[in-house]
Amino acid sequence: MELSFIVIDDTELDHFIARKMITNANSAFHVRSFMDASQALEHIMVDGHDDSIKVVLLFLDIYMPLMNGFQFVEAFEKLDQAIQDKYYIVALTSSIEISDINRISSYHSFRARITKPITADELKELLNKVIDEYGISM
Amino acid sequence: MAEKIKILYIDDEMDNLTGFKATLRLDYQVFTAVNIPGAMEHLEKHADIRVIFCDQRMPITTGVEFFEEIRGTHPLPMRILITAYTDIESVIDAINRGNIFRFVKKPWMEPDLVSAIEEANKFYQANSMLSVKNEELQRAYSELDKFAYSVSHDIRGPLSGILGAINVAREMYDITEMKEMLFLMEKSLKKLDTYILSMHDYYSLQRGELHIGDIDFKKLTEEFKDIYKVFTNTANISFKVNINQREPFRSDTVPLKLILNNLLSNAFKYQNKNTDAKMVELTIDVHKGVATIQVSDTGIGILGNHLGEIFNLFYRASSQEAGSGFGLYNVKSALLKLNGQIEVNSVLNKGTTFKVTIPTK
Repeated sequence: MELSFIVIDDTELDHFIARKMITNANSAFHVRSFMDASQALEHIMVDGHDDSIKVVLLFLDIYMPLMNGFQFVEAFEKLDQAIQDKYYIVALTSSIEISDINRISSYHSFRARITKPITADELKELLNKVIDEYGISM
Repeated sequence: MAEKIKILYIDDEMDNLTGFKATLRLDYQVFTAVNIPGAMEHLEKHADIRVIFCDQRMPITTGVEFFEEIRGTHPLPMRILITAYTDIESVIDAINRGNIFRFVKKPWMEPDLVSAIEEANKFYQANSMLSVKNEELQRAYSELDKFAYSVSHDIRGPLSGILGAINVAREMYDITEMKEMLFLMEKSLKKLDTYILSMHDYYSLQRGELHIGDIDFKKLTEEFKDIYKVFTNTANISFKVNINQREPFRSDTVPLKLILNNLLSNAFKYQNKNTDAKMVELTIDVHKGVATIQVSDTGIGILGNHLGEIFNLFYRASSQEAGSGFGLYNVKSALLKLNGQIEVNSVLNKGTTFKVTIPTK
């Protein structure tokens, strides 16, 4: 599979929902979960060079303890460009704060923003866009 | 008796100063100075001088000029000019520019001075009250901002999770999977409920009055043994309680329980999963009117760079458990009400000790 998934969120229920939504769209999709953003970052640094995967769709919560979504993106943007190119980061947050929304759009690494709860239609639209953009064969 | 109001009088004629002091010293604490440097020395030493009298006709600096100068550096004391009618032009000018609260004509009569002081004091008190209220208001606004932000996350977060789960449930046919999801939904709702309960604590701590009574720490802690039985039984955490109270202690049980409850629940929640002999220890010593409460755990510890921030509203230093960021902030507010202090000592992956001292009321 050329498309893979990472979910970073500090709430177990949101992991469960995201995983369920993604595998409902295609049961062959592989999802990796991280409760702690810094662990996800470590994983990306080590595992970023798997050539069989064309792109990783990364759902990132914003409001988390220790390392929040913004801190994650700031650290991510310091990684090798080759690694960065493989990740398609989507902010997935319950926040309706205008300050958060503006801040999300100020980072070029956030390719999209979805307000929780994500619907099947929103996910489908996003998947079509990514598959199209990266020329992924399903 | 309440402390005497502090007043300062500046005049280049020593006789005037002596007469002034003799007249007023019984009812007020009077400072005098023959020149401006002497006056400044008093003002630096006694920030709580409420009323300043100054003679208009002095060599080098006039009273009006002096008041204009200190208006910026010492805005709080009320400024009263003492002068003869011949200087009326400069007085009117000074009053209009807001540099002077009142003037007393020379030679002064005692009732004039006393009424000037009393009026000035009323103004002083109203001004100080206003600045205290202003500070409180500023703090309340900044907390309101934090609340507005937290509503978007801590309340909307669990709710959007539940809504998402309902969406997913429409296409879920496996009963085990359904039960797993229900369990996670319950967890999210409990977190939301904790948040709301803590918000209630927050509010009652900010607004509620103290109800002082006799405290029996032994009795008080029996309750906690029951509450934390769940942890001691299921998570295999031993709970040691040592109470050493041989003298009466008076305080308010509500904030006291809140402090203990938050510290204990943190100690149980943030245990190090890799430690074999998990333990929480509560020690209370009452000695010479001071209760020293220590809560120690064998938990995950707190990183040094987070230690300074753990008492801030909505600050969370761990992702291990579903914290609201309310707990230690409420502990701090409760301690403020009881005139207590808190210290924290922590070693990463070894454990944390909170030490609280509270004086009896």
